[in-house]
Amino acid sequence: MSRFFNALRDGVGFDVLLVGAALLFLLALAGAPLLYNVLMSFQQVDMFTLGVLFRPFVGFDNYVAVVRQPEFWLVTRNTLIFVFGSMTGQFVLGFALALFFAQKFPGAATIRGLFLVSWVMPGLVVGAIWSWILAGDFGVLNVILKSLGIIQANVFWKSDPNFSIWAVIIANIWLGLAFNMLLLSVGLAAIPRDLYEAAELDGANAFQRFWTITLPMMRSTIGAVLSLGLIGTLQQFDLFPALTEGGPANTSNVAGYWSWQLSFQLYDFAKGATVSVMMFVLVLFASIVYVRSTRHEVRG
Amino acid sequence: MQFVKLGLLAGLAVGALVAAAPAYAQVTLKVWSIDGNDRPGIADTFSKEFDDANDDIVVEYRYIPFDELVNETLRAFATGNAPDIVSFDNPDFALFSSRGAMLDITDRVANSDIVSKAEYFQGPLNSVTWDGKLFGLPKYTDTIGIFYNKDMFAAAGLTEPPTTWAQVVDYAEKLTDPANNVYGATFSARAGEEGTFQFLPIIQMSGGDANKVNTEGAAEVLDLWKQMIDNGWASRDVLSLGQWDSTGTFNAGNAAMAISGPWEIDRMVEDAKFDWGVALLPTITEGGERSSALGGFNWGIMSTTQHPDEAFRLLEYYVSQEDRLFPEFGNLPARGDIALPVTGVEKKDAALKVFQEQLQYARPRGPHPEWQKISKAIYDAMQQALTGQMSSMDALNQAQATIDTIFN
Amino acid sequence: MTRPYTPWLLLLVALALAAVYLFPLYWMYVTSLKGSSEIFANPPTFWPVAPDPGVYPAVWARRNMPVFLSNSVIIAAGVTAITVILGTGCAYVLARYRNVWIDIGLFCVLMLQVLPASVMVTPLFVGFNQVGLLSYPRTAVVLAAAAKAMPFFVVLVRATFMSVPRELEEAALVDGNSRVGAFFTIVLPLARNGILVCAILTFMSSFGEYIYSKSIIQDPNLQPASVGLSGFLGPNSTDWNSIMAYAAIYVTPILAAFVILQRRIVAGLTSGALK
Repeated sequence: MSRFFNALRDGVGFDVLLVGAALLFLLALAGAPLLYNVLMSFQQVDMFTLGVLFRPFVGFDNYVAVVRQPEFWLVTRNTLIFVFGSMTGQFVLGFALALFFAQKFPGAATIRGLFLVSWVMPGLVVGAIWSWILAGDFGVLNVILKSLGIIQANVFWKSDPNFSIWAVIIANIWLGLAFNMLLLSVGLAAIPRDLYEAAELDGANAFQRFWTITLPMMRSTIGAVLSLGLIGTLQQFDLFPALTEGGPANTSNVAGYWSWQLSFQLYDFAKGATVSVMMFVLVLFASIVYVRSTRHEVRG
Repeated sequence: MQFVKLGLLAGLAVGALVAAAPAYAQVTLKVWSIDGNDRPGIADTFSKEFDDANDDIVVEYRYIPFDELVNETLRAFATGNAPDIVSFDNPDFALFSSRGAMLDITDRVANSDIVSKAEYFQGPLNSVTWDGKLFGLPKYTDTIGIFYNKDMFAAAGLTEPPTTWAQVVDYAEKLTDPANNVYGATFSARAGEEGTFQFLPIIQMSGGDANKVNTEGAAEVLDLWKQMIDNGWASRDVLSLGQWDSTGTFNAGNAAMAISGPWEIDRMVEDAKFDWGVALLPTITEGGERSSALGGFNWGIMSTTQHPDEAFRLLEYYVSQEDRLFPEFGNLPARGDIALPVTGVEKKDAALKVFQEQLQYARPRGPHPEWQKISKAIYDAMQQALTGQMSSMDALNQAQATIDTIFN
Repeated sequence: MTRPYTPWLLLLVALALAAVYLFPLYWMYVTSLKGSSEIFANPPTFWPVAPDPGVYPAVWARRNMPVFLSNSVIIAAGVTAITVILGTGCAYVLARYRNVWIDIGLFCVLMLQVLPASVMVTPLFVGFNQVGLLSYPRTAVVLAAAAKAMPFFVVLVRATFMSVPRELEEAALVDGNSRVGAFFTIVLPLARNGILVCAILTFMSSFGEYIYSKSIIQDPNLQPASVGLSGFLGPNSTDWNSIMAYAAIYVTPILAAFVILQRRIVAGLTSGALK
């Protein structure tokens, strides 16, 4: 017994306890539901069997049925557009802003702080505000774009199949910008100044310095930002009901929202679970990217 | 003297009752509905009255947003936390009644002094019936027609409301006035039940129904709707606006015609600063077959209730108060034995007449336990056609294919 | 040379960027002050013609906001407490070693993030029902939301621990401290700022928790402000000035706290404060 406590105080035991507590908590409250969904995707589910684990097993029937849905490929395409569009926008703008605010000028820190407000904005509120800004006939964005001469007629952001997915992407970029900029700023600040000074002495221009110093030094940060960004984007839910509800005609429907729709609007819980398990594959990919990126970390 | 004595006795009796009340085993009934969020509604008002009037029964009322009502109930039912009484939108009712989640009240209704099955309209009654048994009672009913702005009609030289869909388009073109932000028409083609609610009647007019959606007539009308949107005679936002929002633009003078139902009347009387009227939903050809949507909610007792007798008493109380539905809440009772009082508000009374006539043509959605999937196939097809992703006929054919898998 | 002007030019650009970025917030406040007919004015007015702040007390009282907001605070505080207590230790260990087990640990933490909360609700509801937690709905929401917030917290705080020089901890061990002692007396104080900042961020983002609360908490007196807002946003919403007023009341306290604390937050995450 005392060996146990010694191990706890002085050895691996302490570490195991710390990690174990958190992992157990996560396993119970995130792992179990995950398992439940995987199980459900292979079963026949109805309202009477929601509360039990053992239901008629149907093999891959649900998967086949989901792929055969007429909207499956459209939703897949939209999910990819949504993920790449949002992540590219968030990352590029976030990186540009992080670089910009790394310059020394009066008020830089204060103004950078203002850019973080979208972080603390509840998704539902952001959805409501953007829904109002993007409205076709009374939306302020159309008025601004028209007065700038960029568009001639109103763009129906939420109802035009060519724009609906972009309406959600615009709102999502705004929502996720803060997170990207903050983490990238942290990464930038960690790069030793003298590296740049040395490069400048060697005659490297700004672009070369960015390419040869900033990017390589930021590798782990970028990995973390991108993989967390992917997870965050796939999980985005609040914006959809507030903006387009996946419409018109599923042109802005993505996997996460579709899975919710199948479960909670069409009451087809098994198919909803199936779609969510399919998303799992994408996130698996993200996690591998993240974990690999941490390989290059050096402890300061 | 006699009277004093009697009074005293009565007083004593009342006192004894009041004192004894806590000694009764109190029964708690849980009631869920979408009423009473920002203004008093039917379910919350009546439940509270019943709660106050009955010492032996406590009614716990819970408001649930429309979009979450079915979910919440499903989840609660699966985990044994279901309410005793719940009020569903009529197409959602079969999901529960078909699976035995609702209490069979056929015999109770037959023996009731208050509820009379014969008085209910057929459509609403069908939606609470499954397999010949009665699983609930209609709460109120509604339907849709076409509202029109009489001032704008006069300005455009039009005198009568449109009677066919071709006319709607024709008038919409004449009434559209981009300089003043006026669209000719507005309706709701939203990706949701509201979209199906407004489009299914068209399918029914063309000889189809929920199980047969790919009719020539329905495709024709879809093409007409698309024409209105493409030409800017109707806002493209009809694809995302709900009926309440859509009619809001009518009230604000931004649309000359609007398709919606009697629930709009009170707000319109207040908001619309112009002369307006209602007409029956247009048909496909002049004098052609009529149809309209059948809306409205139902009451049901859940089969898991521990207190079926008390729950039915509460249901009877709701039914006994139905003459108040229209004057107090603006809803139409789903039965023929309640005369709707004249309100004195001229436009409201006129509109009500039209909607009462329209109700005769209203046809139910379902009942079908998988109604939500049928509905999605219908509104998806409608949106695909209206956004030009598919021709109207192709979209309806695709919906038919999906629907066939549900019916077979 | 133009050099002395450059900083001021940058400041101007920064202000312009901030104006574009903050426009949605501005629009929320402006809309909330407009009358119901001005809202649908075309073209819209960029400054309310007749500002009507009366909508604020009206929404506050009619929507029962004090109750909603205090529930939001309670839930956010609970989530933060659990996340910090469990997440800090986990992050510390994950930062301390560099081997395949750590990879697996990190991997698990991320993988458990996979499913959107909207899909996790049903199994959690079923599970909470089994153990009787549904009678304590706020506690149930706190547990569920903490599991959602944890992975993110762990990743950020892990970065903080990475920047604590390992030599300091080792020196303490040589001095005869136990691992536990070294953790509490050396490593934690050094990482304090980073942890505090992450805790604040966790608090702020769980202030907006919506999906779990909406399905698990049935009693309106226990629901947070996000659920209260969704009651407004139903299919029948034209009441945009009230919606925006509600949103403004909801987010202004966190925004204000954020603006006051932002220098510390940014500094805590970006500068040497971590070291």
